[in-house]
Amino acid sequence: MLLALPIRAGYNSYVASVSQTVRVKVLFFGRLKEVAGRSEDALEISEAATIEQLFALYAERHPELAKFRSSLVASCNEEFAAWGTPLHSGDEVAFLPPVSGG
Amino acid sequence: MAPPLQDDIYELVREPINTSLLASHVRAAEDGATVTFDGYVRNQSHNRPTLYLDYEAYESMALAKMREIGAQLHEKYRVHRVAMVHRLGRLEIGETSVFIAVSAAHRAAAFDACRFAIDTLKRTVPIWKKEYFEDGAVWADGELPPAPAATRRAKPAS
Repeated sequence: MLLALPIRAGYNSYVASVSQTVRVKVLFFGRLKEVAGRSEDALEISEAATIEQLFALYAERHPELAKFRSSLVASCNEEFAAWGTPLHSGDEVAFLPPVSGG
Repeated sequence: MAPPLQDDIYELVREPINTSLLASHVRAAEDGATVTFDGYVRNQSHNRPTLYLDYEAYESMALAKMREIGAQLHEKYRVHRVAMVHRLGRLEIGETSVFIAVSAAHRAAAFDACRFAIDTLKRTVPIWKKEYFEDGAVWADGELPPAPAATRRAKPAS
């Protein structure tokens, strides 16, 4: 395999070739903002990770978040999105509790 | 066919909503009816006296969703103009939180469209209200917007 011996490649390009990450922006609203202790975050997550996996990351940091999983929807780039949606660099993901406008 | 949204108004504001200005904005010579919906802050919630409400939104997405509702109104009903404004921040009892005005040649379209607009807004636009009482505050019970089950949806080509 070409990637097995990247003798000429610099350290960074070698790392990039085996473990690609994407940078995403994450938003929390309503009660989720209070539970997560923030309204906005930015983080690197492995490429092809899904919105579900992104939420799981935050639920590890803030275990109280987990109990909201069944009563929230996610959006990706301002469109409601399925939990299995894979993330791309620059995506803006938001976790949205039941809406109560009006 | 692009829906005729250019004369419509879709806004999120932090000041009091000028309802009469919006109602007159949608009114034109070719119309015969305007139906308006004025949603305002009630003085109690489940029999607990409310002090005030605080609204927040995912503003960019909320505006996009409000415009989407407007586009649906033009597609589904024979309406002329739409004005849809939601207020954010702290609102006192009796203050208008949401105002919708729809004009049409005939009343049936205006009634149906206005009803569809407020029902859809309450179900799909990312806005949240927190209710403040004498002894604390709670996020209001809301509706979970329908989300796609599996695949990433393509952006509508509008």
